[in-house]
Amino acid sequence: MILRSLSFTCISILFLLTASLPANAQKIPEKKITLESKDLSLAEVLEDVSKKSGIRFSYNPKRIQAERKVNYQAIEKSVAEVLADLAERFEFQYSFVEDQVILKPAKKTEKPVEQSVTLSGYIKDSANGEALIGSTIFIKELQIGTVSNTYGFFSITLPKGTYEVISSFVGYKHFSKTIDLQTSIMEDILLAEEPPVLNEIIVTAASDEIIEEIQVSKTNVKPRAVEERPALFGEMDVLKSLESVPGFKLHSDGSTFYYVRGGQRDQNLVLIDDSPIYNPSHLLGLFSTIIPDAVTDINIYKGDMPASLGGRLSSVLDIHTKKGNDQHTQVWGNVGLISTKLGVEGPFKKDISSFLVSGRFSRLQWLAQLQDQSIKKFSFHDLTGKMNFKLSATDRIFFSFYTGSDNYFSGNNGINWANNAGTFRWNHIITDRLFLNTTFSASGYDYFVYTDVSKNQRWNSHISNLNLKTDFSYFVNPQSELTFGLGVNGYRFNPGNLQTGSSNTQVSNVSARNSLEFILYGNHQVTLNKKWGLNYGLRLSSWTNSGEAFEFKFDDNHNPIDTLVFEKGDPYITYLNAEPRLTIQYLINEHSSLKASYSRNVQNVHLISNSISPFTSLDVWLPSSFNIQPQRSDQVSFGYYHKLTRSGISLVAETFFKKLHNQIDYETHAETLLNPFLESELRFGEARAYGVEFQATRNEGRLRGTTGYSYARAKRTFPELNDGKSYNAFSDRPHQINLTLSYDINLRWMFGVNWNYFTGAPFSSPVSFYNYNGLEVPVYGQKNNDRYPTYHRLDASATFKLNKNVEKKYQHSLTFSVYNVYGRKNSVFINFNKTEVSERDFKVPSNLLVSDRAISQFYLFQFTPAISYNFKWK
Amino acid sequence: MKIRNLLLIFFCVLASCEERIDIPLLSEDKNLLAVDGVLTNESVSHTITLTFPYQMMNSKALPVSGAVVLILEGNSATYTLTEAPAGSGQYVTPVFRAVFGTTYTLWIQYQGKEYFAQDSSVPVEPLPVLDYYKVNDQYSLALNESGENANYIDHRIDWKTTPACLPDNACEGRIVFYDLKTIDVNEIYKPGKTEFLFPVNSTIIRKKYSISSAYRTFLRSVLSETEWRGGLFDVERANATTNLSAGAIGFFAVTSVVSDTTLVVEKP
Repeated sequence: MILRSLSFTCISILFLLTASLPANAQKIPEKKITLESKDLSLAEVLEDVSKKSGIRFSYNPKRIQAERKVNYQAIEKSVAEVLADLAERFEFQYSFVEDQVILKPAKKTEKPVEQSVTLSGYIKDSANGEALIGSTIFIKELQIGTVSNTYGFFSITLPKGTYEVISSFVGYKHFSKTIDLQTSIMEDILLAEEPPVLNEIIVTAASDEIIEEIQVSKTNVKPRAVEERPALFGEMDVLKSLESVPGFKLHSDGSTFYYVRGGQRDQNLVLIDDSPIYNPSHLLGLFSTIIPDAVTDINIYKGDMPASLGGRLSSVLDIHTKKGNDQHTQVWGNVGLISTKLGVEGPFKKDISSFLVSGRFSRLQWLAQLQDQSIKKFSFHDLTGKMNFKLSATDRIFFSFYTGSDNYFSGNNGINWANNAGTFRWNHIITDRLFLNTTFSASGYDYFVYTDVSKNQRWNSHISNLNLKTDFSYFVNPQSELTFGLGVNGYRFNPGNLQTGSSNTQVSNVSARNSLEFILYGNHQVTLNKKWGLNYGLRLSSWTNSGEAFEFKFDDNHNPIDTLVFEKGDPYITYLNAEPRLTIQYLINEHSSLKASYSRNVQNVHLISNSISPFTSLDVWLPSSFNIQPQRSDQVSFGYYHKLTRSGISLVAETFFKKLHNQIDYETHAETLLNPFLESELRFGEARAYGVEFQATRNEGRLRGTTGYSYARAKRTFPELNDGKSYNAFSDRPHQINLTLSYDINLRWMFGVNWNYFTGAPFSSPVSFYNYNGLEVPVYGQKNNDRYPTYHRLDASATFKLNKNVEKKYQHSLTFSVYNVYGRKNSVFINFNKTEVSERDFKVPSNLLVSDRAISQFYLFQFTPAISYNFKWK
Repeated sequence: MKIRNLLLIFFCVLASCEERIDIPLLSEDKNLLAVDGVLTNESVSHTITLTFPYQMMNSKALPVSGAVVLILEGNSATYTLTEAPAGSGQYVTPVFRAVFGTTYTLWIQYQGKEYFAQDSSVPVEPLPVLDYYKVNDQYSLALNESGENANYIDHRIDWKTTPACLPDNACEGRIVFYDLKTIDVNEIYKPGKTEFLFPVNSTIIRKKYSISSAYRTFLRSVLSETEWRGGLFDVERANATTNLSAGAIGFFAVTSVVSDTTLVVEKP
């Protein structure tokens, strides 16, 4: 109605204006005029032309962009030239009919290619130059936008014109700038962090990434949210924070193992700057190796990964570290009960290059040595580093590394494990719409059990890989983005062998393996119209094992029948797999959307462990081979996403069904160490999982946090186990509730609370007992027939900023935290074979003539208070 | 100091705790036949014990009475076992010794159902020197691995005839030390055991048993569910293996044995 009135008004005004045209209208096109229009609409410019030339215009303002603003300057140009300029910019055609000019929209086929221009660049934090991954760019006039990629790069192709460009990112001030886009330009956008304020009301963009992104089952966790969360011993921990994400189930207290949507713990890939970390745990799993201080972005994919990611069935935890402040040097750190952290970052050359080094070192050894003088080492550490160099406007290189290790030695024995990873990355902007990322990374994981330190005699399990990959992002237009790439990964597996200091005495029991993997992928994300979007992709992988190696073949009864020996470099088995992915999006309105997806994932590296312990033990990795087929999963998800704009709350409801094939379980009491016939101990079957997950998140404001509920089931079926009957997977804990809140009491005090609840995990409890040689031997019924008691736990923290003045260069704070406030005794193990020697001291009885065993539970961390001191020098 | 103690220190420091929990067992009456029997190279009456599993921990097993039990010595001899005392579920053989290199078959018929098991012995290595150490005024066994082959040593300790035996006290004990020569995470990190102390002048009768391959597999699975269960690196729970047919549980073993007797003397 408004447009109709406007149309009528325009035509009327033009008619009146042109009523006094001179008779020599035929010569008007050559008439020279001078115009200077600043931030005027096309209608206003045409009106000015009409006044100065005497020509009349006839057009429908609904069909041409009459209200679009323009800056236009013409000095002594003919009317025809002016019209040609405006026609090009506003994509209309014009024709002189007697004494008037008729405007109509240009036919699309007639649109010259040169009319499109591209705005591209990086979106960065103005204070430190860090790339802001996932920030939005929005063109107000066209109501279109895009999002910066994993490297902070964006590209948006538009018709020539003058636009108001708006950029936003959670926790940062909105950026707005009018850009006259006549040619393609590359311009970085700098966003400034919001100063600390006590905002009760949040004003957010109507739309949100969660609504518009054509991606299902993805959660973005801000490092700040991890830092604000109450943590055990005040040790902020990225992996532990995953318990607040519906669909993620942590093994138990004291563990970094986690299970996603019915998957196993080896089906989760942890990437730090594209390098896999195989065992992200310290102190057997009490803490993870990943601290939020050095992290800039954390994305979690629960099975529906982009085609560029893969190699695991259940999840990818994609972590990007900070590149380092390229504006000024800063130092930050933390002193806690368990460890000390220190980080330094700064520019080599301002705006051009920077570095970051951070380390964490445990301070437990003295405590352990107080207990026992024979302890020689009782420590862990992490060291993270990154350097980046801007070589030119189109080229940047990054080098990052991570090394972490745990050492526990006493007397002549000890255990040690270490993760090492390094990445070299080259970002190159080929054209303003084509972005290239090339990554060369290496990572390795070793686990050692020293049986005789003096002779360097040790059991060692090892996995390492070298990866080279190239990713291309082609921003076709704001509605269409194409990503594609290829990669090659080399793996080395040592499933566990005894080594001594002398190479002559080394006994090789289990064959080491070598594998080569080629990856080719493509992904196309396209917005079909205002309502529908599509994201489809395909990942092709080829997995080949090669010598030097030997492998066994087994008969149907798992007895070895043949030994195959392969010379160095001989390829001997290949698996080809195609992993399609599809996501369909329907935008209900700007506040809500529906999405559905299907994804297939394939996994060729397998963790062989029949441990039910929550603690890091002797991990053995094996590749797909003759006896182990690649694991495969098919997942279908459906989700509803809603943004409450006034409160800034994002709501997500997702349901999923997942089928997992070629799953691995174990023969009863399997021998997994130093067993050359290790693969004969494996049993293969299927698994399925389904569930519904709800989550509400608020990332901004005085009160922030997330709450979620999920109902999910996970079942496994193996023909050779449990009489072929289906049984509950360990991760089958139907009900899960979590709540994490942070509240700014005032500008100096912040309060945090975290509550988790889930149904107890399944385990096999005895159904009866019998005696053998004086031992009371349990008899089990159905596998995982019982459950641990329900788990729940409340944590709380309070952070006090010691500075009154937030502008001071040296900022410091104290964090007080309590883990398990109400002292819930959450079972880690339940035992049926111990006797109570004294109060809370349970041991296995030595004297077989006495029977006084009791059912006991082992638990960790009742009411554990902690204090830590955090500082930052900026 | 062993690795597991090192790790336990950490968990002890950090307020880990173990305490009684009252949870109901999901008992099932599976009416299984449990066999506990070992033939040795000793010229004695050997005992095969047949019981039903029980549902409450620390209970006395219900004996399987009235079974027909035979032992076949290769293809040469058959020994018929008799239940003694009647109703005890304990079936004893005539006096004979199990010979190395011969396969023995246990045959049981109970309530119309037949059960079989076979085993043969392997040689046993000599007993190591008995080692014990003083703890306050008493003594404790020092148990160490010995020999090249899998074995277990059964220690019967008795001080009933010593002045240290107080009235109403049992004054005896039995400790079995298993040395299976396997490498298992749950064994490396197995839980601690209670300390068993005995006075000077106690008598210790030791018997070292050899273990066949199948017997070792069985004992490994039994230990995984008993003595090795409850450490920091537990493995999946599962029923112990068996060499009995038709769904019976337990094991019928044939072993070689060496034994000695020691009188505990004062040590500094």
